[in-house]
Amino acid sequence: MNIDASTFVHLAAYTGGGIAMGLGAIGAAIGEGYTAGEANSAVSRNPEISGDIFKNMLVGQAVAESASIFALVIAILLLFLDLTGAVYLKGAALLGAGMCMGLGAIGSGVGSGFPGGQACLGISRQPAVATQLTTNMLIGSAVCQTPAIFSMVVALMLMFMDFSNMPLYPTWAALVGAGLSTGLAAIGSGYGGGMAAGASCEGIARQPRSVGNVTTTMLVGQAVAQTPAIFGLLVSFILMFKAFPESQALSASMALLSAGLCMGFGGIGPGIGNGMAAEGAVRWVARNTAHAGELMRIMLVGQAVSQSTAIYAMVVSLVLIFVL
Amino acid sequence: MGELGKIHQLVIPFLGHEIRLNLEVILMTWIVFVLLILFGIATSRKKQILPRPMQVIGELFVEQFYTLTEDALDKKMAEKYGPLVCALFMFLVLSNWLGIIPHLEEPTKDLNTPLSLGLMGFAIAHYAGIKTKGFKAYAKEYCEPMFFMMPLNVIGELAKIVSIAFRLFGNIMGGSIIILVVSYLTYSVILPPFLNAFFGLFVGTIQAFVFTMLTIVYISVQIK
Repeated sequence: MNIDASTFVHLAAYTGGGIAMGLGAIGAAIGEGYTAGEANSAVSRNPEISGDIFKNMLVGQAVAESASIFALVIAILLLFLDLTGAVYLKGAALLGAGMCMGLGAIGSGVGSGFPGGQACLGISRQPAVATQLTTNMLIGSAVCQTPAIFSMVVALMLMFMDFSNMPLYPTWAALVGAGLSTGLAAIGSGYGGGMAAGASCEGIARQPRSVGNVTTTMLVGQAVAQTPAIFGLLVSFILMFKAFPESQALSASMALLSAGLCMGFGGIGPGIGNGMAAEGAVRWVARNTAHAGELMRIMLVGQAVSQSTAIYAMVVSLVLIFVL
Repeated sequence: MGELGKIHQLVIPFLGHEIRLNLEVILMTWIVFVLLILFGIATSRKKQILPRPMQVIGELFVEQFYTLTEDALDKKMAEKYGPLVCALFMFLVLSNWLGIIPHLEEPTKDLNTPLSLGLMGFAIAHYAGIKTKGFKAYAKEYCEPMFFMMPLNVIGELAKIVSIAFRLFGNIMGGSIIILVVSYLTYSVILPPFLNAFFGLFVGTIQAFVFTMLTIVYISVQIK
């Protein structure tokens, strides 16, 4: 079957748009559901302030929604992009963009539901610190969105950068791989960052005086939990900006595609694991503020060890790109 | 949309190599320097026992970051590294805010700025580690848990530079790309100011703080 370039590019754009929004709808919905569930339990504990809890729930859900909104923006752009005179390679880029945004929105969407839910519970437990809890929730959820923002950046670059003077083989594989690398790696990081943010809201409700230490530990923990997504971004940038020599051999293309897949899948676990380490540290910093510095240091060392698997994945992808 | 991913460069041939200077980034960095020096003069000029508003801002700021450093390192180390931490945060936060002014761009949007600051933090952390622990104890840490894990431990340390630099770069550049695309699509009506406030002021401040905290924490991991 022979398809001309214009048909192929349109096909890829529509498929990409569908994938972006379809996958992008998963995460935020789960996160918002979690927030709503915890809000219900919070209201039943302390019905007198149900108004405050309801308000906080809506704010938390609105922030959790942003990952899906990013996916919606990319999907609509893909559907209505001007594609006159596009070459075959553009199709690969658009498909990569769709997958990148769709996959990347999953983790952040689920993750940013946790701080919302825990903040609702916290308000029911400790109504006096409602403002601080909402602020902390907003900071935590905003940082959770970083992996989704990385995915959106890669998706936008894939959509709008000019790849037309690159050889079709093996650049198509590099572009699809670039999308998969950031998209998949963002799943774990977004989820892990949410775990840390949720624990910080719980901790502040438990011990309102610890707010400074808890927020600092949360930010550092989340930042380190994002490292796998950053490795994914790095691999995507290399795949997008490096000029690959033309080669009809299938192995050259597959090496680039696997480089993206390797970093993408390799980033999921470390992201969640780092999030667990951060969650534990944040939770116990709230209970034991005097030893916050030590807890943070142990958290970092633990995260560095759990991150080593992401580093193995990055080493293998770099070998696939530069050596093979 | 063509300007996505393009950089204005000055290329100077030098002994068969090319020196590339990113002119806009240099100019923006100098603007940040000038603003910081002005801030420094405004806060420390006419110091009084009854402080004026600018002096209060400066004192609060320094106090806050000094306490943060003291929490992570100890008192003696904090005296040494406190000024570095304050300077780093001030430079980063002002750099990240610069993009909200039309025609100005964040110096941190260029990978060279975060990468060199990350390298600086890395060098300082390892210098502090060697100085407090001695070279032998420092080198021994790389051979844990087994001696053959050394190459991976070294890569793990180098990956810290990559992650700290790309975190800042990705957030700031990501924000500016999103603002660029949305402004283009909506003809700069209604939405861009809110996006500027979110990505420029809010995310910019958080990322500057995260970068500073990570630099402190990397030092504290090395010296303990």
